[in-house]
Formats: sequence, C-alpha cells, structure tokens
Amino acid sequence: MAIPPIAALEIGTSRTVICVGESDENGRMRITGVGTYPSTGVRKGQITDLSQASVGVESAAKQAEKQADVSIWQVLLAISGGHIQAAVNTGMATIRSGDRVVSKEDIEEVTENAQTVQIEADRQVLHTITQSYMVDDQPGIVKPEGMRCKVLTLNVMAVHGMKNRIDNAVSVAKNVQLEVTDVAFSGICAALAVLTPEQKRNGVVLVDLGGGTTNYIAYCNNVISAVGCIAVGGDHVTNDIALAFNIPLNRAEEIKRAEGCAVIDSETSGKRVVLSADVGFEERLISCKALHTVINSRMDETFRVLRSKLDEAGVLPHLGGGVILTGGGAYLRKVADLAQRVFGLPCRIGLPVNVDGLGAVEQPAALSTAVGLVLYGKMTYEDRRLLSPFWNRVKGVFGR
Amino acid sequence: MSQELQSGLLLLGVGGGGCHLAASVLASYGDGMRALGVDTDALSNRQASSGGLNCLLLGGARLAGHGTGGDAIKGRLVAQDDMQNLVPHLQGVRTVVLTACLGAGTGGGAAPEIIKALHDMGIATICFVTLPFGFEGESRRKAAERVLPMIEENADSMVVIALDDLFGDADAVLLDEAIQKAEGVIAAGITMVWRLVSKPGFIQMDAERLHAMILRGGNARFGYARSEGVNRATEVAAALRGCRLLRSGDALAKSNALLLGILAGPDLRLAEIGEIMGKVRSMCKAECDIEMGTVLDAQFDGRVELVVMTFESWAAATQVETRKEAAPLPEPPVAEDFPIQSGSKRTRSKGSKLSFGATGRGKFQNVEPTIYNGQDLDIPTFVRRGIQLDR
Repeated sequence: MAIPPIAALEIGTSRTVICVGESDENGRMRITGVGTYPSTGVRKGQITDLSQASVGVESAAKQAEKQADVSIWQVLLAISGGHIQAAVNTGMATIRSGDRVVSKEDIEEVTENAQTVQIEADRQVLHTITQSYMVDDQPGIVKPEGMRCKVLTLNVMAVHGMKNRIDNAVSVAKNVQLEVTDVAFSGICAALAVLTPEQKRNGVVLVDLGGGTTNYIAYCNNVISAVGCIAVGGDHVTNDIALAFNIPLNRAEEIKRAEGCAVIDSETSGKRVVLSADVGFEERLISCKALHTVINSRMDETFRVLRSKLDEAGVLPHLGGGVILTGGGAYLRKVADLAQRVFGLPCRIGLPVNVDGLGAVEQPAALSTAVGLVLYGKMTYEDRRLLSPFWNRVKGVFGR
Repeated sequence: MSQELQSGLLLLGVGGGGCHLAASVLASYGDGMRALGVDTDALSNRQASSGGLNCLLLGGARLAGHGTGGDAIKGRLVAQDDMQNLVPHLQGVRTVVLTACLGAGTGGGAAPEIIKALHDMGIATICFVTLPFGFEGESRRKAAERVLPMIEENADSMVVIALDDLFGDADAVLLDEAIQKAEGVIAAGITMVWRLVSKPGFIQMDAERLHAMILRGGNARFGYARSEGVNRATEVAAALRGCRLLRSGDALAKSNALLLGILAGPDLRLAEIGEIMGKVRSMCKAECDIEMGTVLDAQFDGRVELVVMTFESWAAATQVETRKEAAPLPEPPVAEDFPIQSGSKRTRSKGSKLSFGATGRGKFQNVEPTIYNGQDLDIPTFVRRGIQLDR
C-alpha cells in the first residue's frame, strides 16, 4: 500500500522546521519539501509564547507546502526539553501452559504488564520501547516465543514528559489549523534518520546538539539503553559569548558561526576578529583565544554532563561504534575533536542517511530530527511495532 | 609548617617517564621536596617508590596495574576515573610542577586530563614535557604532538623539550649517557625552580613571584649551561648562548621575559654575577623582563650552573594592555550575585586583566533554570569555572 505524504513539525529553539516526505517505489522515503523559519517564543525547547511560536510554524508550513506541492493539514510533532525523562519498567508473566512453552499470548501479556508505567499524573508517556526479554534467569533474549520457562520478564524503556508542556506545543500547531496526529521525542527521531543498523549493533550514542537542548540516545547491542535530554544547547554558547564580550545576542550568534571553535586553537591564539560597526554599536576587536575559551568551556561541560549521564546508565563501556554528533551544533568547528577527547571514543558528524532528497540542503545535520520524524511517521503507519507510540497513531494523509 | 608546605609547590610526575624524572629531581634535591608520582603501571610505580617518590596507582579498577599499553585514550579515562584519589594530595598546593614524557599512554593521555582538573581547581601549573627521540618512530612523535595543544589549553606555562635537541652530536653519545644526560638536564631545570624558592641565596625568589610568573608564562623554552674554572662566568654565558634547547641563542633574543637561576658554591663572586647578567642581558631584547635568583650550595663549589626559562608570549599580554589603555572601554556593570565556585582561587590571566561584566543569566533570565549537581547551567560556564579571558 502506498504511503501518503507525511509532514513532520519540529518547533526548535532556534528555528521551526517542517519536512514533507514521500515514499518512493522501493519504500525508501524521499524528502520533497523543507520549510524553515527562525523561531521566537521558544526557550530551551519549550514554548514560552504561543502566538509568537505559531508565526514560525505558519511560515515554515507555507514554505514546505510550496516546495512539496502538497497542502498540509496534519503533522507529526517532535517534542524536546529538559522535562523529558526515561525509565526502565519491568513486566512479568507466569507461563501457565503445561509444557511451559512461551506462546504469543504470554508475550502479549508480559508486554501489557511492562507498558503499564507508574508515573506522576501530570506526566505523559511518549514511547514504550522494548529492550529485551528474560526467560527465567536467562537475560538478553530477543524472541522468546517457543522457548521453555516458568516466568517471562520484559524490560521496556518508557520515555515520558510533562503533559502540559506537550499540550502547549500541540496548541501551537492547532493555532495555525494543523492537526497533530502523533508526538515523538526528538532524540528518537534523530536516531531514525542518522544511525545505521550496523552502528546500533556495535553500540553507539547519538548526540543531537540543538539550539536549546542536547538530546541523546544510546544503543547497546541493537537495544535502546539510554535516552534523555539536557536543557543546554547552542543558545547557551551564544548567550555565554554575548555576556563575555558584552555584545548583543545576534552579534554573538554571528561571531559564533563565523569564528567559533570548540577547542582552543593554538593556530589562532594571537588572532583578533573584527566585529563590524552597526547602529548603536561601535566596531570591536575580539580575541579569538577568548572566544574559543568561552565556547570550549561550555561545550566541554555539556559533553561532561552527558558523559556522566551515560556513565550512570552503565552504557559507556558498550559503545564500540563511538559517538555521533548531529543537529545544528554539529557544525561548530572541531566539536568532534572535543567530544572525542571527553568521551575517549571515536566521534564523527552524523547526517540523515536513511532518506533521500537532501542533496541540495545546506547543513543537512540540522534537519535530522524533522527528517527522522518523517521516518517515524512511516514506521508507525506501517505498524512495524518497533516503537509503539502510546498516545496516538498516525492518520497522516494529505489531500493534494 | 615546613618551608616546602609553605611554598605550596608540588612536583607531580605523570606516567612512567614523568615519575622517573620526578624521582631524579627528588634524588638531586634531597629531602624536603613535596613530590608525587602517578602511573598506571604498578611495576614502574614500585621502582619509582624505591627511589623515595610517593606513588599513586591510576586506573587500578580498569587496568589492574598493567599500564595502558601505549593507549592514550585509556590513560585519559583512568585519569577521569581516579581524579578524586589525587585530590587529598593537593591540600595547600598553589603551584604544581608537572613532568611527563609524551608519546605513550599515561603521559600522553592522563597528563592533559590532570592538568585540566588542576586548572579547574584553581592550581597553577608549569609543565615540563618531553617529545620522544626521533628514532622512536613517527607514530610516537605524532602521538606526542597531538597531545601538546591539549596541554597548552589548560597549562599556565609549558616547557617542551625535544629529546633530540639535548644532543649536539648524537653519534658520539652512548645510549646510557644520552638517557642520563637528558634526565640530568631536565632534573636540573626543575630543581632550579625549587632551589630558587626554598634555598638561601644572594637573591632569593619567593614563591609568590614564581607563581605570578607561571601564571603569565604561556609557552616557555628551557636552557641549561655549566662551567668551572677561572673563567667560569664568561664560559658559562657562552655555553648558554650555544645551548641547543634555546635554539643557539635565538630563543633568548626573541624572549620577552626570562627566569634565570644561577647555581654556584659559596665561592661565587659579585663580579661574576655582574658579568653573567651583563652577557645574558646583551643576548636579549632591551625590554626583556629578567627575573633572577641565586642559589649558593656547597656541593656547587668551584662551578657555576645557569638554568633559564624564556617566555616569548609574555609581551602579548603587555601589548594588549597598552592597546586597551590607549582606548579605554567603558566597564559594564557587574552583577552582585556572581556565583563563582569556591574552588576557583585563581583566575586564568595569561592576558590583560580588564574586567568585563560577564554575569548573570542573560537570555535565560526568566526561564526555568537547568540545575545539574547543584550548579545553574544557564550561567556561563567560564564564569562558574572562574576563567578570566584574554581580551
């Protein structure tokens, strides 16, 4: 069955993105339209002004509609922010049949038990991700059906967030007459776009360096083992620069993009960059070394926080595939070098390789989340049950 | 309290080579020096301990005392794991003199991490690092050179010694002699720092002056010369000019600051100091800032030894200051609720000391804070870490 075009909306801290994807004859997704607009009314991945955020969504939607030649009225929405948390939940089922062979019904029962996550009333489960089964005391079972045991145990990872904050993001889309058919955590979306099956088997951590947040997702032996979000991103780097040199945020962003570097570069230690004059702003000379020191200290800290979170989750020794950086922040010069130093693992920039149609896009890694959300839409549409969304199912169809 | 504790100086050897150097320094200085060695190899640690050096094993849990096998990444990880074990040894320490031989696993991997941790704790560091001999191979040389910028990032002063530069005519030098000479020269340089601070001399250098010099030092070069006999003052100055470590006088000519130690016996004459200083001054620029100290020790009777450290990047700071003074910028207001970590006793001031108002939360003023381990991550990291910027 052909899949209708899927539209994915990401209301990011620095920009709002809408991607439209269509499936080709081989079943591979192709991005046919991309609309972007600078975000306002969003801080650290969360909506602070509904009407301002709606402006960005409307403008991005128009641009994407024009490029993909579709009219968008349903979207999938990516959710991020410091309120996103993950916890492992365990479900158990006793095998009642006389021969003690695990049946489909037993697996359904244990899945249901595991997905019954006890969380606070104001939180909402976004995903319940199957990790692995245990038959009696033998762990690491992928397919237990047909095996003999007394007790079947299943571990699932539940990703949840604050209900009101998720609803606020949904309201932004509603304000511009877009129906949200499903929501997904941004980190999981980015992983769908960027990671290859081999990397997931080897063990890998994907770090999505966004404007207001840094999302991470770690795979060990093809299983999602850690997921989370730190409410620190590229905006913090810009803010640090603005405060360090007493310059406006837009000038700080400009100098970060032009001269920023994640490590203190000895080649440019004596260099000074000119920050040109503007209305009410005199020309300034800024030391490259000072600029790099500000950026280095922030990025170093972010990676160290991330490292300690991965360490707590016990996944660090299992990441043979290394660290993959994606998102807009991955374009900061030498950021992979710094990550390599902090994690002590091979590190590289990850682009959205699991889709086509991004050849002409500048900085494709910045679109990883939106592109991955399109793939998520396709996956849930086909009901492959790799990730089972708790809240809604994709109805995503558009009229051309 | 002993003079060593008062001076707040600690000699820290990192890795097999670094510990060996530290042990040599300890042997040539004698008792009273506060020194510590850290290594991942239990056997090498035992050898250094037998020389009187207090040793700490890194990465016992991860490597079980077998060393890193030349893997710098392992070195870095074990340093991160076991940093808390090092902290009790740093009580009262203001300046660390660190020795490491780059090119292998612990020296190349753990040293940058340790220097970074020391920097974050507000402790000044002067690092003596050696680059491997040419014959050790290209891969070792490259591994060593990769580490240098990482050390430079957080060290206050760094002295890089290429072992090849220690020998003028490599063919004539026996291997055993070569190693001993390399150790001896480096140990002499480090011992000089200690003697200047703690031993009585004609002109003594106090720990505060040394601390201030290290903070402003940046990349340094290190040179050594010795002579004896009647014309020892003239000869020792000439030998210093010919020192390969100082690029045959080129480093002296380019340096903007110089730390000069004269080590001699009680027979040192005032005229000799005058002659040495006159000759050294003639080798340097007129505006070069020379700090000198002398050490008089009976074991140096009949001979004179000179140890110098030259700092090229010294003037960069003063030039910036002059430029800033010519066109002063209005100083923005500084917020009063400026939370600096208690550990940040020192600010990084290789450059000018102009203070800017980098305070508060800026864009994140009215946003829910991001708290991690009790710290508000919305406040700029460089503010929380107490890093003063070169502007």
